[in-house]
Amino acid sequence: MPRPEVMARIPVDDEYFLFRSCVASNKYPGMESSTKEVFERIGVGLRESDDQTCCAGFITFTSVAEVTATMPAVARNLSIPDQAGLNTVTMCNGCYTFLTEFGHFLQHNPPIMGKVNEMLSMVGREYTGESQVLHMIDVLPKLQDRIAEQIVRPLKGIRFATHYGCHYLYGFKKDAIDDPFTPTVVEDLIEVAGGTPVDYPEARTCCGSGLTQVVIHKEDLSLPHMKAKFDSLKEADVDAIVVVCPYCLTILDRGQAKMVDRGIAQHEVPVLYITQLLGLAMGMDPVKLGLGANVTSAKKFLDKLERLDRSRATAQAARGGVPRSPQSPASSPSGETTGDGGEAANA
Amino acid sequence: MSKVETKRLRRELYPELRELTFGFVSDLEKCMQCGKCVGACPAAAVTAYNSRRMIHDIKSGNLQDVIESEELWSCFFCSTCYASCPKDINFPFTVAMLRYASLYAGYGAEYVKKIIPYAQDYYARGLTVLQPEKNPLVIARRKANSGTSGEMGDIREKMGMPRERTVSDEALAEVQFISDVSGMTKLMKRMLDRRDAAPKTRERLENVDTVKTREGKFAGFPEEQENA
Ligand code: SF4
Ligand code: SF4
Repeated sequence: MPRPEVMARIPVDDEYFLFRSCVASNKYPGMESSTKEVFERIGVGLRESDDQTCCAGFITFTSVAEVTATMPAVARNLSIPDQAGLNTVTMCNGCYTFLTEFGHFLQHNPPIMGKVNEMLSMVGREYTGESQVLHMIDVLPKLQDRIAEQIVRPLKGIRFATHYGCHYLYGFKKDAIDDPFTPTVVEDLIEVAGGTPVDYPEARTCCGSGLTQVVIHKEDLSLPHMKAKFDSLKEADVDAIVVVCPYCLTILDRGQAKMVDRGIAQHEVPVLYITQLLGLAMGMDPVKLGLGANVTSAKKFLDKLERLDRSRATAQAARGGVPRSPQSPASSPSGETTGDGGEAANA
Repeated sequence: MSKVETKRLRRELYPELRELTFGFVSDLEKCMQCGKCVGACPAAAVTAYNSRRMIHDIKSGNLQDVIESEELWSCFFCSTCYASCPKDINFPFTVAMLRYASLYAGYGAEYVKKIIPYAQDYYARGLTVLQPEKNPLVIARRKANSGTSGEMGDIREKMGMPRERTVSDEALAEVQFISDVSGMTKLMKRMLDRRDAAPKTRERLENVDTVKTREGKFAGFPEEQENA
């Protein structure tokens, strides 16, 4: 259950600063395209900037860049929304952690903040800490009603498991939107999209990667974790996994291929980012959703959706009604049509 | 470690550890050794890693043992220990900072060398994770799933996105400037030089100058500071 006191703190703005993620941009671009489209459909602006760089969290927590170098880098990135007077929405647990923790650290250590700003002033920037850093799943629950209005293709009967990842709920056990061990925010959003949230025993188990599976840890340490997780998912009979972090997406998506390749297990469950799920239920074109960038095939899942569409259309036709199909364009607040349809989904 | 050294470390634990960890020491003195963190820890499930014992070692003045240990590099940074800890000790931050201390003392280079290219990409392009994909398995599957060549530029284009995400030249110049003045560029060079150099010179923690002298400063390696 989302915590009321945290919910009350989350600002609902007309426009946010979208903090882009390297992994999303360069490995899973559907995260970005779906986020932009979902926000456009519900009439909330997102501003981006090419001046924003990587949050630098990855190289910091893998010990190749010292905090003394990456703290000013965090402050530099945050000076962009600061200056624009916008609050920041992050798509990634890692960006969220890094920006939030270091932001707090700077604000509570005035001498270091002074030094950092001294450095920033040399490039004409200033970090004030005024921009609030928010996680995607801080903001989406606040916009739940507007999201519900845009659902034209309810994902009825489709079974979704969740993987929240560690670095948001565990790392912010007191400030996160939900309880670290029994969260339901994503399940709530799955229900808004018409899907069925499914519980499974290893739901809160770490994927085994942390930040460094690919580089520091040996596979024989991390793959067993992943296998236990997927075995338990299989028993729960799910159609897809919903994540809220590009790193979780990467590890769970590619990990399955790795396990198949190493002959450890045969799992093929597509992994979706939360806005990809919402985008699907809003009738977004699957090509634009970017599921093709996934390593684990989403074909079975998309086929099931198509069957669902067909049976819905037949039922509608039988009733003689005009189907409210995904093709009917959703209208944006300005009155223009933004829907570009689900042609591919229905083709 | 001699008794005297141990005593000294114990007396100076906090100043020293604070220095090592840039203030991220996470209130280790509050630890009541309950072991809840170990019960929840995925690293402890598959290795000899034990956060409770590491905290005990640090508090008893055996910082050196921790810095030298291979276990220091087993943490997954999942924060489950923090979520479970009744005393709210954020241990992974301490681990992250102790790893720097370990590197300064000449250990652990083998665990970071594969990450160096990511830092180089960050410096050169402003992004840590870039498009090129080395793993043929990934490209082959992406090709099948996306109906493109499997290359990211093509996938993005098919999705109606620009082929590449761009970072402005100004941003790049700023990031490089920050990296240069904060010592990150030097650190990277140093790590690159050291990458294949073996055997490493291992030094006692107390003798590592950076550890003692860098508090409040933007760090560099001792010899570089001397030359500066
Ligand atoms: S759970 Fe907390 S108090 Fe208990 S041993 Fe671990 S760090 Fe110490
Ligand atoms: S953050 Fe590290 S020490 Fe803590 S539970 Fe995870 S692996 Fe264990």
